[in-house]
Amino acid sequence: MENREYIISAFTENHPGILFRVASVFLRRKINIESFKVSDSPVRGISLFTIVAVVDEAMARVLVQQINRIVGVLKSSYYTADGLLSQEVALFKVRKAILRGDTFEQISRKHPLRLLQMNGEYLVLRKSGYKEEIDALRDELKERGLLMELSRSGSIILHRETVEKSMDGIL
Amino acid sequence: MEQKKISGAEALLFSLNAEGVDTLFGYPGGTIIPLYDALYVHADRMRHILTRHEQGAIHAAQGFARASGRTGVCIATSGPGATNLLTGIADAMIDSTPVVCITAQVPVNALGTDFFQEADIISMTSPVTKWNYQVTSAAEIAPAISRAFFLAGTGRPGPVVIDITKNALVEMLDGFEYEKCKELRCYNDHPVIDTDALERAVELLNGAERPLIIFGQGIKLSGAEKQLRELSERGNIPMASTVLGLSAVPSEHPNFVGMVGMHGNVAPNRMTQQADVILAVGMRFSDRVTGKIGEYAKQARLIHVDIDASELGRIITPEIAILGDAAEALAAMKRTIEARDRSAWFGVAAEQFALEQREVISKDLRPTKERVTMGEVIDGVARATGGDAIIVTDVGQHQMEAARYSRFARTRSLITSGGLGTMGYGLPAAIGAKIAMPNRQVVLFCGDGGLQMTIQELGTVLEWKVGVKIVLLNNSFLGMVRQWQQLFFERRYSSTPMTNPDFQKIADAYEIHHRLVEKREDLAAAIGEMLATPGAYFVEVKVDEEDCVFPMIPGGAALSDIMFNESL
Ligand SMILES: Cc1ncc(C[n+]2csc(CCOP(=O)(O)OP(=O)(O)O)c2C)c(N)n1
Ligand SMILES: [Mg+2]
Repeated sequence: MENREYIISAFTENHPGILFRVASVFLRRKINIESFKVSDSPVRGISLFTIVAVVDEAMARVLVQQINRIVGVLKSSYYTADGLLSQEVALFKVRKAILRGDTFEQISRKHPLRLLQMNGEYLVLRKSGYKEEIDALRDELKERGLLMELSRSGSIILHRETVEKSMDGIL
Repeated sequence: MEQKKISGAEALLFSLNAEGVDTLFGYPGGTIIPLYDALYVHADRMRHILTRHEQGAIHAAQGFARASGRTGVCIATSGPGATNLLTGIADAMIDSTPVVCITAQVPVNALGTDFFQEADIISMTSPVTKWNYQVTSAAEIAPAISRAFFLAGTGRPGPVVIDITKNALVEMLDGFEYEKCKELRCYNDHPVIDTDALERAVELLNGAERPLIIFGQGIKLSGAEKQLRELSERGNIPMASTVLGLSAVPSEHPNFVGMVGMHGNVAPNRMTQQADVILAVGMRFSDRVTGKIGEYAKQARLIHVDIDASELGRIITPEIAILGDAAEALAAMKRTIEARDRSAWFGVAAEQFALEQREVISKDLRPTKERVTMGEVIDGVARATGGDAIIVTDVGQHQMEAARYSRFARTRSLITSGGLGTMGYGLPAAIGAKIAMPNRQVVLFCGDGGLQMTIQELGTVLEWKVGVKIVLLNNSFLGMVRQWQQLFFERRYSSTPMTNPDFQKIADAYEIHHRLVEKREDLAAAIGEMLATPGAYFVEVKVDEEDCVFPMIPGGAALSDIMFNESL
C-alpha cells in the first residue's frame, strides 16, 4: 500500500488529557504528525481534532481504530484530501520590494489573495485555499526572495454531513 | 446520604465501599497519609494489605482481579510510590486486567513545581491505562471513583489511574453521596452485535470440514465459558486456547486440543495451519500465537469475535468481524450451529498429540536422566490437586512448562503475565489470588530469577499469613534467556548463570515452612506435604540446569516450523 496524506478527524469530549492520548497513538508508532489542530465543534463541549499524517491506508485505519478506543473520543474517521472539504488559511509577511514594478499585480493575479496590512518595512498578505495553493504562493514568494515569514493554519475541514448527523446515536 | 462533614480521604474510602471494595493493596508515604489516616479511623470498613513494594501491591491487585473477576485496587503515594506501579499498570493494560490504582499527588497549587515527590503520573500512565484522571478537589472524588470502576471493569477491562492531589484528600465535604456510573457517551461498553455477521459466521462453521475455535482470555472476562463449551459440543468443533485462555475450558474436555503458540501443543498449532475455518474469540493474534504472520492460517477463512473494536483487523483482517461480548455472540451462534462428523479432523489432533507425547511429553514427564525436570514437578502438582488449584506463575521456562503441564478443572485457574512477560509478577499475584479466593489452593511456580525480583513480598506472606504454596523451580539460570542463547547463540551464556542465595534460609527467615528437593524420589512427598500443610509453604526443587522448553516455534518462524529438541 502506498503512503499518502491522510486527514484524521476526531470528535472528542473537551477534557484535559485527550490530546496527549491522541498524540501517543502516533508517537508509539513513530509516525510524524504533519499538522495537528484542535478546535470547537458546532456542539458545545465537543472538540474537533484534525490531524494530518503521511501513512498508508492500512495504517490510517489502525490509527483511527486506536483513537476511537480512547475513552473520551466520540468518533474518529480518516479521509484523503478529496474525501472532504479541506482548506487552509495562511498569513505571509513579504518584503516591500514586492511593490516594485508590477510584481504585486502579477502575483496577486496568479494567486488570489488579500492585502491585510502595509507599513514602512513589509506587507501582510492573506491567502486561503487548498494546501497546494498555499504551497504555490509560498514557493513563488520564496523564489523571488520576497518571503519574510509565513504562518499557516493547518487543515481546516468540513465534513460532508453535519456533526449531529455524523454522530447520530452517540450524542 | 450521610450528612456529617467528611474529608476527601473519607469520601474516597466510602466511594470504594460503595463499589464493594473490601481489600486494598498498598504502601504509605507522606502525600497519602490522609488516606491512611482514614483507613485507621475506619478500620472496620476496609482491609489494607501492606505489601513490601508498590510493584507488589499492583501485582497483588492484578492477581486478586484475575482470580475473582472483581476489580483489584491498589494505592500508592506520590512520586516514587506512583512510578513503582508503572510495570504493573502496563501489565494490566496488555493483559486486560481490571485494576484501579489510586495515587496521591502533591497539592494542586504545587503541581509543576518539582515539589518533593512530584511525578507527572498522568502523563506517564496515559499510554498504559484505559483511563486516568487527576482529581484536584474533594468534590470530584466520588464521581471519579465511580467512573474508574465502570471503565476498569466493563467492555475490555483494563487499568485506571486516579491521581488525587493532597489538598483534595484533606478538604472537607458536607456529607457524602455516591452514584454508580452506568454509562458514558464517549465510551461503548456493550456494542450491539451484528446479527447478520453472526448468521454468516454460523453458516461458515456449518459448512466447514476442518473448523477450529481458538479462544483467549476474553472467554473468562466475558464469563462465556459455558457458551463456548456448548458451541463446541453442539457443533462438534475442536477448541484450542491461548496461554491466557487456559482453564476457561476443562483441560480434560474431549474437544479441547490444547494450547496454541510458541511453546504450545503441536496439535492446535498444526491444526491452525490446516483449518478451513477458524473462529477466534477473545484473543488478539499476539506474535507469540501466530508466529510469522504471512504464513499464519493461510487455508482458513477467519471469524474474529472481540469486544474491542480496535482488535478487529489490527493484526489479521478477518472475513467476518463480530464486535461484541463473547458470551452473547457464542450463545447466539449456538442456536443454529449444526453438528457434523469430524472424526478425521479430530483424528489429526489425536495423531499430533501422540507425536508430541513421543517427542516431548514422555521425555519431560518420565525422564530417564538423573535430574528432575520442571515438567515432573508441575505434573506432580496437577495430579495431587486434581487440577483444582489456582496456578500462578512467574515468567520464563517454568511459566511455559506450567502452562503446558498444569491441568485445569475450573475457570480462572491460571494467572500469568502474558503480554508483558513481567518477571516478578508471580509471588505478589499469587498473594492477591489467595487473598481473593482464600478457600482455593493457590500454587505459585516461579524461577530463581523472577522470585528475586519481588522476593520481599515474602514479608507480606508472613505478615498476613497468606497461605500460598510456592514452588521454586531452581535451575540456577535465567533459564528462558539461556535457552535462547543455547539454541540460537551457540551456548554463549552471557549473564544468565546465577549465583543464588540459600533460598531455604530465606524461607526460614520469613517463618515459612520449607523443603528442598534434589532427588526425584522426594518429590511426591514434598508436594503432598506442601498441599496438606495449612498456611504458606515453600518447596524448592533443584531441576536440570540446561533443560529447554519444547516444542518451540522460534520467534518469527511459521507455525509449521516446530522444534522438538535442540537439533531440530
Ligand atoms: C522484568 C523482566 N526482565 C527481564 C525479562 C527477560 N526474561 C524473560 S525470561 C527470563 C529468565 C527468567 O529466569 P527465571 O526466573 O530463573 O526462570 P526460568 O526461565 O529459569 O524458569 C528473563 C531474564 C523479563 N521477562 N522481565
Ligand atoms: Mg531459573
